[in-house]
Amino acid sequence: MNQKEDFSELQKLLQLKRLETPGEAYFEKFVDAFHQYQRQEILREEPWYSKVLEVLFEPWVAGVPRLATVAGSVACLIAGVAFFLGPVAPGITPLADGKVAHAKGIIVAANSVDDSLQIQPELIETAAGGEGTQLRPLYVNGHGAVAYDSRLAF
Amino acid sequence: MSVDLTKEIDLENGPTDEELVAETVKGNLASYDELIRRFQSRLYGVIYHLTSNHEDTNDMLMEVFDKAYRSLPTFRGQSSFYTWIYRIAINRTFNFLEKRKRRQGAMSLNEIDEDGLPKYDMPDPIQRNNPSKSSMLNELQNKLNESMLGLSKEHRTVVTLYDIQGLAHAEIGKIMGTTEGTVRSRLHYAHKQLQKSLGIYLRR
Repeated sequence: MNQKEDFSELQKLLQLKRLETPGEAYFEKFVDAFHQYQRQEILREEPWYSKVLEVLFEPWVAGVPRLATVAGSVACLIAGVAFFLGPVAPGITPLADGKVAHAKGIIVAANSVDDSLQIQPELIETAAGGEGTQLRPLYVNGHGAVAYDSRLAF
Repeated sequence: MSVDLTKEIDLENGPTDEELVAETVKGNLASYDELIRRFQSRLYGVIYHLTSNHEDTNDMLMEVFDKAYRSLPTFRGQSSFYTWIYRIAINRTFNFLEKRKRRQGAMSLNEIDEDGLPKYDMPDPIQRNNPSKSSMLNELQNKLNESMLGLSKEHRTVVTLYDIQGLAHAEIGKIMGTTEGTVRSRLHYAHKQLQKSLGIYLRR
């Protein structure tokens, strides 16, 4: 019925391609040639960074992402999420009312309404164990620790 | 590397591919040579019909056997060695074709072997007794190569494995990591495309 769907002639034609081989002599010598190839390959092993470059510049292979690309993307995603959701600064834990607890036991108050800098020395002294204690105050505003300024050290 | 000769396989008794793999992993290099002899011609065919270039095929074939040798310790036998090494050959050839495409844009017909036929295993009587027929065959094969290169690499692969190498649909599916149905549909599409471009050479 549909003549176009008969591919038998085409298939016979395609079988001609079976003749396109380099011949017996090539295959007889192939194993020896392969041993030579392997020896040369051992002598010129790729440096480690070539693999990194390969992944960076060819992240996709035949339309499919490499395993290293997938792993790298997931690692970046996790690092990004951890960066935005993690603690405000190492050693500082937010408390209620805008106060924070520092790892050294210093408590600094912050004005959570006003963004201006607020330091309450009496709280620092209390937390640090009395007058005369050498403290390194942390500047805290409504958004968390900002910076350390030695001019403000007590 | 020292090889325990007492453990060497008697190749004449025809060990299976998997037995040869096991012996190779133990350090018997003669077993891997035997595996190469078993697959070199078929893998050459696959790579050549995808690249249409003998020199590239030779380089790729070396790479494939080298890669397979290095990966043998990780071969768990979930598929046959036959499927596994075919898959390596096809994946690496696909990578090579992608690189070639990026390097040179679309495949140039100049890359196809021009001095093709004399190198091939053409039956002698055709070449000696009928030069005009040989010339026609030459032209036909160039046209065939051109038409094959007009197909996508996936379509070219199914044509190569089914029509040229004579593998079954299911086997091709395993090698290409796809279903038998997909293989059939790719094959049908490829046949239609080839029929279109080779129409003048086909009897109706």
